[in-house]
Amino acid sequence: MKAFIVTLLCLCATQAFSQEYKNYDWAEKPTLHELSEEEANESSIAILEKYMVEYMVPKFGNNIKKFETNHTIARVHDEKGIKTHNTVYISMYNVIDIVDIKARTITPDGKVTLLNKDNIKEVKNVEEYGDFKIFAIEGAVKDSEIEVLYTLEKEYSAFGRETLQKSYPIKKLEYDFIIGDLPGRVKAYNAKGEFTSKTYTNSKGKQLTLKNIVPMLEEEYATYDSNKTYIAFQCFGPETNVTDSMLWNNVVTNITDGLFPEKVNPEIAKIIESILKDQKSDDFTKAYLIDDYVKKNYTIVKNNNEQLSDIDYIIKNKSASDLGIIKVYSHLLKAANVVYMPVITADVYEHRFDAEFFNPAALREFLIYIPTTSNYILPNRIDYRLSEVPPTILGNQGIFVNDKLQYSFYKISQKDPEYSRVVRNLNISFEDDMEYVKINQEQEYYGHWAMNNRAFLNLAPDQSIKEYEDYLTGSGIEDKVIKKYEITHKDMTQLEYNKPFLVHSTITSESLLEEAGDSYIFQLGKVIGTQSELYQETERVNPIQMQYPNRYNYEIIVTIPDGYEVEGLESLIIKKELLDEEGNQKCKFESNYKLEGNKLTIIIEEFYKEFEYDITEYEGFRKVINAASDFNKAAILMNPKE
Amino acid sequence: MTISYLKFPVFLLFFAASFCFAQIDTSEDFHFLERTENIKINLKKGEFNIVKSIHEKAEYLTANKLYFANETLRFDSFTKLEDIEATTYLPSTGKTIKVDYIETKHEFDDGIFYSDQQTKNFTFPAVTKGAITDLKYKEVITEPHFLGLFRFGTYAPTKKAVLRIEFPKNLQIGYKEFNTENITVNFNKEETKNSNIYTWTTENVAKYSGEDDAEAALYYLPHIILHIKNYEEKGKTIPVLSNVTDLYSWYASLAKQVDENDLQKVYKIAEDIAKKYDSDFEKAEAIYNWVQENITYVAFEDGLGGFIPRGAASVCNNRYGDCKDMANLLYVMLNRVGIPSFRTWIGTRDRPYLYDEVPTPMVDNHMITATVIDKDTIFIDGTDSYVNFGMPSSFTQTKEALIGISPDKFILKKVPVQPSEKSKAIINTTITFEDGSIKASEERVFTGYEKVDFVTDYLYKKQDNSDEEFLNTTLALGNNKTKYQNIKVSPIESKHKTLTLSFDLLIESYAKTIGSKTILNLNIDRTLSKEKIDIAKRKYGKKIDHKFEKEYTTTFVIPEGYKVTSMPKPIKYDGKAYGFSISYEEKDGKIIQSKTIYINTLRIDKEDFESWNTFVKKLIKAYKKSIIIEK
Repeated sequence: MKAFIVTLLCLCATQAFSQEYKNYDWAEKPTLHELSEEEANESSIAILEKYMVEYMVPKFGNNIKKFETNHTIARVHDEKGIKTHNTVYISMYNVIDIVDIKARTITPDGKVTLLNKDNIKEVKNVEEYGDFKIFAIEGAVKDSEIEVLYTLEKEYSAFGRETLQKSYPIKKLEYDFIIGDLPGRVKAYNAKGEFTSKTYTNSKGKQLTLKNIVPMLEEEYATYDSNKTYIAFQCFGPETNVTDSMLWNNVVTNITDGLFPEKVNPEIAKIIESILKDQKSDDFTKAYLIDDYVKKNYTIVKNNNEQLSDIDYIIKNKSASDLGIIKVYSHLLKAANVVYMPVITADVYEHRFDAEFFNPAALREFLIYIPTTSNYILPNRIDYRLSEVPPTILGNQGIFVNDKLQYSFYKISQKDPEYSRVVRNLNISFEDDMEYVKINQEQEYYGHWAMNNRAFLNLAPDQSIKEYEDYLTGSGIEDKVIKKYEITHKDMTQLEYNKPFLVHSTITSESLLEEAGDSYIFQLGKVIGTQSELYQETERVNPIQMQYPNRYNYEIIVTIPDGYEVEGLESLIIKKELLDEEGNQKCKFESNYKLEGNKLTIIIEEFYKEFEYDITEYEGFRKVINAASDFNKAAILMNPKE
Repeated sequence: MTISYLKFPVFLLFFAASFCFAQIDTSEDFHFLERTENIKINLKKGEFNIVKSIHEKAEYLTANKLYFANETLRFDSFTKLEDIEATTYLPSTGKTIKVDYIETKHEFDDGIFYSDQQTKNFTFPAVTKGAITDLKYKEVITEPHFLGLFRFGTYAPTKKAVLRIEFPKNLQIGYKEFNTENITVNFNKEETKNSNIYTWTTENVAKYSGEDDAEAALYYLPHIILHIKNYEEKGKTIPVLSNVTDLYSWYASLAKQVDENDLQKVYKIAEDIAKKYDSDFEKAEAIYNWVQENITYVAFEDGLGGFIPRGAASVCNNRYGDCKDMANLLYVMLNRVGIPSFRTWIGTRDRPYLYDEVPTPMVDNHMITATVIDKDTIFIDGTDSYVNFGMPSSFTQTKEALIGISPDKFILKKVPVQPSEKSKAIINTTITFEDGSIKASEERVFTGYEKVDFVTDYLYKKQDNSDEEFLNTTLALGNNKTKYQNIKVSPIESKHKTLTLSFDLLIESYAKTIGSKTILNLNIDRTLSKEKIDIAKRKYGKKIDHKFEKEYTTTFVIPEGYKVTSMPKPIKYDGKAYGFSISYEEKDGKIIQSKTIYINTLRIDKEDFESWNTFVKKLIKAYKKSIIIEK
């Protein structure tokens, strides 16, 4: 990320006043706040979350100063609430000076306990997050208010991003973005309110006030984290005129340094022949072999070693940063004469890329696009090989750069809508005088399904591989005995485009056959495995995002035993669909049957042509998803013939 | 649970799991060619200098698991890491490449708020199929009570493992092997002029990988624990850790350092609570409940401070503490009101050791309070917020407690297993059949550990899911279309003896109506039906957290105009330590199903797998039986 930090000179020393945080403090004599009955039932609730970000030019010197103040008052009602608020972590990333950190607890009987500052501990270099100051809140009991207020002076950086929605409700939120006359802007995302101009004691800026922010619901088929309320801001040096296109150009110049080499590195030139195995023409095969080679020989390392982006060091040590690894691909692809475009974007489940508001914190994923095959390489995904883009990226926007260093923004999509699908053929019989059910099943997995299965079986720990066998032989049959389980095309390296992953299995189960007097109930629906059920007790918050377009085609053949006749087949007929404005099916579940002699054949077709659906389509989408779950409940009755 | 000291010196066992003690599997991706630990103890004028020299050589048999190249070495205020040398050798080219960048980091841990543990991180360069990595480093141990343990086996197969310890002749070493029954460990003694040398060598140890519902890795992983027993100086024997007495006197010396100032406030709280009650039991119970409701668990691990409880006055003021802080606060409060109570060290069920086997801090990882009321010893755990007074925390059952009676007197006592009748779920359900759907109202009353488990899941597993979704995934009643309404949960604190959960259910696509017949299965709760053990694959016994009983009474109201044409026969099964019974009765226009299920053991051993499966199969068979009603 360091490569993106745009350093802009701040040239002047104009007028400047004292900082706004000096005019802000907590109440001298705190008292507990009034809460409604509903609010009092929460484990905890923030009464106030206040953020103040201030950029200013000091009287002396010409460096922009940046101060951040954070003030929280939270009421805690039970142990869970106390645990949410009684440990405080303050990031020291870019901090020059701790102006002040203070905290206090106000108990229901009005007793105030002030944090003993000697108990603030320092933790250095935490994972990838830098240093922290941490402390535990003192004196908090049930129904107390915990108040934390701190101000940090930070190194100047032009950008910032802050998620405002938390795991607890917030009664009132204030965000002050104070920049005086400095050029800058701030934007609120997924917020029920907007920034408005405000004049402060010594400066001016913008303020966002939000009331009653509820926690984000973790809904299924949703990118709920990236749909949370957050803000992003930019602030530049006085009298500069920085535009987003300048910023994007800057990024392109910075990151593409080394991504379009003029000459292939001699080490790479030496080995390219052995990697390509005589493949000369087909770009897919060449790029695939290169991807496979890198993933079997290089390691991506996350630490502060700056050499990890130096191509000579990378090639020698076969270790690279997440940006450095792109350089290796660049040299290899150039050597193989394959056209490629670096792409920068974000995980769509974490952040929605915004081309109109440059924000380096959101540029975390580096991809390589191969335009001739419309496929992507994901260097940091050892579980992937050149293919359609995986669900973590699909649907996000990205910046694509070509070898002339021109850039464009595109929505990252899937080329082949039929890429991911599952075909199943089941043969079912009843054995041993109706003691148990025998299921012979052949499955073909394509696209992401196949990729995912292969990755799991090759890379996961033994225990997980064992559990995966249950999934691949039909989940949700509690007493299942696996008699046969064969996997074909398991290897990660599959040069043929979208080669299916095959499973051939035989299982037996007693529990699928229930008894009712002399009759038997066969839980036929359960053979398709547990199906997700979408509940909607509360109003849907998030639009729908499926992992990827999908299709399932099943054929189930049941041999009805001699001496029995079947009833209740109507539960096998289901049809639910969601249509677009022209009446085309966007997604569908349909099942039907035919009975010929003692052979019952059930055909199921289910597909989702789109992966995104508007929130207004939720009910229709839910009906299709739940139709599969309905089928899962289908049972047929087998009566002895009279 | 933070007072003890068990390090994972090389790798965190993050891929913990199964062990076959056979030859190394050729389908492996990665194995250790050699893992050697060389411990050298020097002693001069009572000052110890202990250095472990560690050497590990590993080979990548495929390119599948290159992430093993990311190495993490842990250290804390009792250890220093020195002279780290790491290289990758590539047989295909004959090249050796050195690690040239090592970063020191901290990690945040969910369970421990602050820890002094740090890590040295680096990545072996250029690993690929065929690469051989070589790691050498020294670990300097500054505290002679922590000699640690050595694992003969680990998460990857080991071709050769060697532990060697060299120590002066005036010093005695104690050791004990664990789980080495199925591997061959060669033990050798040598001596030099001034030193004794012990060496343990083993070859071809299979990898360990864990299983669900199994005991912790240390129950199965072949390993050895070493400890310094004592040394002689000027004709006198100076004890270190030769027996439990030594361990206890060291613990007692640390406990002496507890800050006992300013206790007046703590005393007043204890006295104010106690004066409302007559019996010692009630007083102790009320004090325990006060601590549970007023002190929040926050864990710190900070050098020896990780072993010395914070003063009761400070814990009481701050309103937070870890296990030892809460244990000490209870100790102070209870003694103040005349109830004899003792600081108590204990290992949770994750630790397989007895104090006499290895009198070291490896045995325990937790601290509680023991109190004696009417000659009964009661174990009190301040960290288990929802357990009722009188019951130990579930995860300390069966474990040996080291109870400190006075600075030089202790006793060892086992925490008793709590009988199944103390942890009950009583479930009453009324089911009606209307318009093709099933409606039900249900009340569940939990006691003991059944209550603790429900509360813990309800508070922490639920996360941001709704109550409905939580119940749907945890109870899984009927099918996954079941709707839960009017959910009510009674207060959860430890002072309440029972917890009542009630809700209404609407279950669609459940009853099957064909013609005039409706077929309905009254077993909407199919507890334990997924618990069959895969005998062919399972390697370790199945751990059960606590003994319990479930009692169901399910009343089906026969709808107007219907008669019952088929009702299942009663079924009963009494296995070795588990069983069930189900019976049906038609009475006053209702069908009443009575069902009890009990588990009376904390572990299903391998030899009992068949018997367990028989139990589960019979239970599933019983669950399969439906009633039929006809118009």
